[in-house]
Amino acid sequence: MTEKKIICFKCNKELVPKKTYFNYLEHSFFTDILSCPDCGEVFISEELVKGRISEVEMQLEDK
Amino acid sequence: MDIKKEDFNEKIKTCLQNEPSFCTAVCPFHLDIHDFIPKMQRGRFNAAYRTYLNAVVFPNIVSELCHEPCKKVCPRSSKDEAINMKLLEKASIKFARNLEPNSYNMPPKNKKVAIVGAGISGLSCALRLASKKYDVTVFEKSGRIGGHLWDLSEPEIFLNDIERQFKNEKYTLCLNKEVINLEELKEKYDAVYVATGKDGSNFGLKRNFNGAFASNTPGIFMGGMLCGKNIVESIADGIYAVNAIERYIKTGNMNQEEEKNDTKIKINADFITEVEPVMPSDDGTYTSENAVEEAKRCLRCSCDACIRHCDLMKYYGKYPKRIGEEVHITVHPGTLDGNGTVATRLISTCNQCGLCKDVCPERIDTGEYLLQSHREMREKGAMPWAFHDFWLRDMEFANGEKTALCKIPKGFDKSKYAFFPGCQLGASDYRYVIKSYEYLLKQNPDTAIMLNCCGAPAEWAGDEPIHRGVIETIRNCWLSTGKPTVIFACTTCRKMFNKYLPEISGIFLYELMEKGNINIDCANANEKASVFDPCTSRDEPALQNSVRALSSKGGFELEPLSHEGKYAKCCSWGGQVSVANPSYSKEVVKARLSQSINPYIAYCSNCRDIFALTGKNVYHILDIVFNLNDSNRKPPTFTERRKNRVLLKQKIIKDIFNEEIMEQKDSKTKLIIEEELKEKLSSEMILETEIEEVIEHCEREGKKVLDGGSGHFIGHLKIGTMTYWVEYDVCGDHCYTLYNAYAHRMSIEES
Repeated sequence: MTEKKIICFKCNKELVPKKTYFNYLEHSFFTDILSCPDCGEVFISEELVKGRISEVEMQLEDK
Repeated sequence: MDIKKEDFNEKIKTCLQNEPSFCTAVCPFHLDIHDFIPKMQRGRFNAAYRTYLNAVVFPNIVSELCHEPCKKVCPRSSKDEAINMKLLEKASIKFARNLEPNSYNMPPKNKKVAIVGAGISGLSCALRLASKKYDVTVFEKSGRIGGHLWDLSEPEIFLNDIERQFKNEKYTLCLNKEVINLEELKEKYDAVYVATGKDGSNFGLKRNFNGAFASNTPGIFMGGMLCGKNIVESIADGIYAVNAIERYIKTGNMNQEEEKNDTKIKINADFITEVEPVMPSDDGTYTSENAVEEAKRCLRCSCDACIRHCDLMKYYGKYPKRIGEEVHITVHPGTLDGNGTVATRLISTCNQCGLCKDVCPERIDTGEYLLQSHREMREKGAMPWAFHDFWLRDMEFANGEKTALCKIPKGFDKSKYAFFPGCQLGASDYRYVIKSYEYLLKQNPDTAIMLNCCGAPAEWAGDEPIHRGVIETIRNCWLSTGKPTVIFACTTCRKMFNKYLPEISGIFLYELMEKGNINIDCANANEKASVFDPCTSRDEPALQNSVRALSSKGGFELEPLSHEGKYAKCCSWGGQVSVANPSYSKEVVKARLSQSINPYIAYCSNCRDIFALTGKNVYHILDIVFNLNDSNRKPPTFTERRKNRVLLKQKIIKDIFNEEIMEQKDSKTKLIIEEELKEKLSSEMILETEIEEVIEHCEREGKKVLDGGSGHFIGHLKIGTMTYWVEYDVCGDHCYTLYNAYAHRMSIEES
């Protein structure tokens, strides 16, 4: 296990970026998110949540 | 009760935002002080002079002869002394860099206007027309211009001013040419302005009062001293007659509207701070510094009470009219996909404190309009759920089995009184409610207890179905306890009852305590403090007095705040707007705290806890009455607030009613969380119960990832509408160390 890698607990596989769909307030969109190549378990960092995700949420609320 | 939205649209037409200030209204030239004064205040004399010149045409003559009607109407005249506009105007001339008139490069109008009389009214009309490039001819029966000015002023003043202002304009002057009748002029010219002065010939004309300056003959206008005006008004007549003349030339109508000389604005003298008038130098004029000082005394009166008082209007810089327009297109968007909903967040930013209506001279209720718009948006599903989701869940918890209670003490089948502490008082510190209820039971042993939320969160979320349910529960409890008089500790609860349960009579706990002469230990002898009235106490002066009396009895030396009593403002809690607009909420808190460095004494637990969260020293009045907490008590986290509510119900049942409590099953999961992280979670409105749920899910399903960097597990779960992420480690059987948690509103579409 290399440092800083995100590993799926179930599959013991390293998570890799994968196109993932999101929806909020009846709007759907996608972006690359770290996912387990086998089971699809995802990971989103706090940095992403507080940054881009929060920005998009605000934009959709004001749309 | 509720006003209809259509009523608001009608009412908004009465908004006085565009009404002139008092001085502008009575000024013959309607000099716009909102333009002139700010320039003077900044020492921009040249720019101020341009404004003045454009308004009065002959600045030296007017500043010399003006009879200063503005002084009589200046609101300062009843407080200290009216603004000395005449000296300010003179200063603008004295310190202007360039006194020369503007030169307008415009094509000729190809229309001819005759002016009868080269007095100052005729000349001001001629100058304004000439600057608009009309072909102007002035007929004067004597051999000189100036007319009545020769009796009132020095020739070197007025002749120089006239010469300078006409420098860039052409007109024909016919001296020694007496007009005998107007027929000939009427034929040759497109319009005629008759300004023959006091005792001058009116050629048999009469005023037609259907239009400004109109005579009973089409195309012929009259004004100035001929119509009984004084010298300065005559100059203004000459200027304003141009509007009537132009209208006639363009449309053939003699129906130019008269200029308004009044205003509907009202100024509350309570808000005028006295400032000594600035004295002129020995020569009777202002120095440039003096002029700036005097200009700064000007209140720049306008009807802006709403935007001065309302935090929302100030934050957005928008008056009710603009808000009305933006909200309308937000609720009724012009496109199918609902684009252009510009005011969604604004609608959700209103604290619902009602101050906008209270300070508006026309009683325009923008707050109620926003609340109704909020309801419409929610019904249509156009209001983002996240704005009120947390609070609606909080209300549901407060009204749930673990925390709600409706009970009459043993031995009674009905109650004369019922204590309704509200859901936040016990959440802040359950002892507030316990001690108060014990006190009330001593006075009246049959006093019932009603632990329930008043429904305010549903009202503010615009969720009428949920709101109706809460109101019904409260009504049923009240009926089942024998229709008691309700004792309130929270002013918001009281307001909600007044609005939706008007059949229930009520009284405030603190009024009862004061009237009952409750014993208070003077533990805080002579400490200075300021009572912070919650916005919902604005119409409750008796309550406000009671809290002050209790505080004084507690040994406090009270100092007033700038916004209290009938001008009490919201602490930021009202409307639960902090999710929708966190930066606005912070601004509001900052503004409320800037009023005084004294510790505050609050009697709304939300005001107390919101201020205390910033580190401000704040007592709750019950801290003083029962000697419970110091002013530096940290407010509980949202998780602790829920625990306090549960404890409160258990303690009332067990300790006050001496009854067995239903054993609550504690969660098997044990979380180890550092204090700092607890505060972070609370600030992000994440509950520890939600964290437990995520971890239990991750452990049960094995759905988690391992962070190679920290060695911690990270997992997520969507609970209701929110998605929570938890970073943790296992520290034993069902024991977890929490390192972090965060949440987002958008959902991940997982396969």
